Amino acid sequence: MTRNKNAIGVLPVGFVPDLVLSIIASNIEAYLKLTPEIVPPFDPPVMAYNNNRGQFDAGKMIQAFSELDLQQYGKVIAVFMEDLFVPIVTHVYGEAQQGGKFAIISLFRLAPNPSRVNSNPSSTLYERAVKIALHEIGHLYNLLHCEDTKCLMHFSDSLEDLDATPIFFCRYCHRYFQTALIH
Amino acid sequence: MHIMVVDDELIIRESFSLWFQKSGHFVETAESGFKALERLEKDAFDVLFVDIKMPGMDGIQLLEKVKETYPNTFVVIITAFGTIETAVKAMKLGASDYLLKPFKPQQLTLVMEKLVQQKRLSSEVDYLKSHLDRITRFDNIIGQSQVMEKIFALIPEIAESDASVLITGETGTGKELVAKAIHAKSKRNPFPFIAINCGALSDTLLESELFGHQKGAFTGAVHARKGFLEVVSGGTLFLDEIGEISTKMQVDLLRVLDEKKITRVGSSQVLDVDFRLITATRRNLSERIQKEDFREDFFYRINVITIQMPPLRKRKEDIPLLVAHFLEKYSQETNKHVDHIDNDALCLLKNYDWPGNIRELQNAVERAVVLAKDRTLGADSFSFLQAAYAIPSKRLSLQENEREYLRLILEESEWNVTRAASILGINRVTLHKKIKRLGLKRNGQ
Repeated sequence: MTRNKNAIGVLPVGFVPDLVLSIIASNIEAYLKLTPEIVPPFDPPVMAYNNNRGQFDAGKMIQAFSELDLQQYGKVIAVFMEDLFVPIVTHVYGEAQQGGKFAIISLFRLAPNPSRVNSNPSSTLYERAVKIALHEIGHLYNLLHCEDTKCLMHFSDSLEDLDATPIFFCRYCHRYFQTALIH
Repeated sequence: MHIMVVDDELIIRESFSLWFQKSGHFVETAESGFKALERLEKDAFDVLFVDIKMPGMDGIQLLEKVKETYPNTFVVIITAFGTIETAVKAMKLGASDYLLKPFKPQQLTLVMEKLVQQKRLSSEVDYLKSHLDRITRFDNIIGQSQVMEKIFALIPEIAESDASVLITGETGTGKELVAKAIHAKSKRNPFPFIAINCGALSDTLLESELFGHQKGAFTGAVHARKGFLEVVSGGTLFLDEIGEISTKMQVDLLRVLDEKKITRVGSSQVLDVDFRLITATRRNLSERIQKEDFREDFFYRINVITIQMPPLRKRKEDIPLLVAHFLEKYSQETNKHVDHIDNDALCLLKNYDWPGNIRELQNAVERAVVLAKDRTLGADSFSFLQAAYAIPSKRLSLQENEREYLRLILEESEWNVTRAASILGINRVTLHKKIKRLGLKRNGQ
């Protein structure tokens, strides 16, 4: 199968509601003008689970994706319902290989109340999930965090920040993204 | 920011690197305190994130060494096993922050925001310090001609003594800059440098400015006021246009210089004063002594050391350097990226006589930069000088010539009488008189 560099694989890790995946895919198409495709689910790798922290190591998850046959996609964004961390911080909403192929987002902390994530996903959760996904895809195209608070690439360290962040790039990041797509 | 992460755990070093790289920081890592010090010897880092528990040299020992040798480098201590004692110790040793692993993302953002802000402030302070240095040391006097090199060599020697200095030279040649440089290099530099233009003040006003006055000493003296001779205490008093002061004022100043004592106007109380006097003039004082316009005893008292500032036409080799300096200055001030001048323009500037000397050159460059359409100044940017240089097509009388020349300078100065007077080397009152006498009027008025 030939690789389409503008094709984005949307990879559910474990169980992820179809609606969430569809919303993320349609926003990737609408805002980034890329070609998303939802791929079959992948079981969360046991080696990425950290017993002490009760969370999954985002770095190890990304490492595991490289063993999957996803050659046909230029980039892959994984969607996960469980909590993610990287060793230095308590949690992350998402993680990406800077300028690489794989990224992952977690919906675990995005609902107004984390315990309700499975039962009652609200529109707020969808919007947050889309922002995180598009932000991490930005990193895959080598975009860095932006100082402009009105830019999708602005780093959000809390849900309040995330809600205040728009779903689109500032004009500089937009230009950078367009250039990255061409090259 | 240039960041170094010092931790013996590879996973932590990698995690930090990935985290900061996403914000565009340049991150390096070291697995021990020793390796970190080796790296610091070769490169400057803005901030170090240092783990406390490391084999060999622990984080606190590294913090101590870094702060001792590289006090401007920020150090953030990180640990998985924090205690109040180590936190207090780290902060006392100069750590910028103390974080417990794993951090909340907000904590890391806050710490970085704080450090970026501190770095900006310290860079600003460094810039301002160096800028202040530039304007107070004689690096600010531009020139590499032989005559200027001699003056540069003279300044530190003169600064060492406390003798009175007379600086002579045409208007706009940088007399005040030399006076400031002497003050800056002297042991009096912690104290004030006060400059007074004697030509701009009437005799009574100058007396009151220099000696101060008591309340009610004259009409309008509603408060007692210290004179500059008191205020300057310990520093340097620079009296520009000393040739313009009255003989009465010369006598008063001569007495102050001899006795180092003053009395305020309207007071009988004698006050001790301590200052160094530097004077300047564009007039030939020896000639004025012969005409009995200037007191010989006062002249010898203020003329212990003389510095003769050359006019710009006698050091034309300095023009390219001066132009480059003013281009940089006005490009920055006007935010207009005008940073080149072509050969024709430079040739024109070198061929012009510069009656207003460096001040006139400075004004010309400022005007050219303000009106520039692109980043290179050409000869046409200085067309106003060409007009000044043009030979009149018909022969004019002396008065007609004076009239035309004054009009030209006034137009060039946009009828700013102070600026025009300064270019012409006369005072404002004289220029006003000439404007009236010659019937000069601004276009359209």
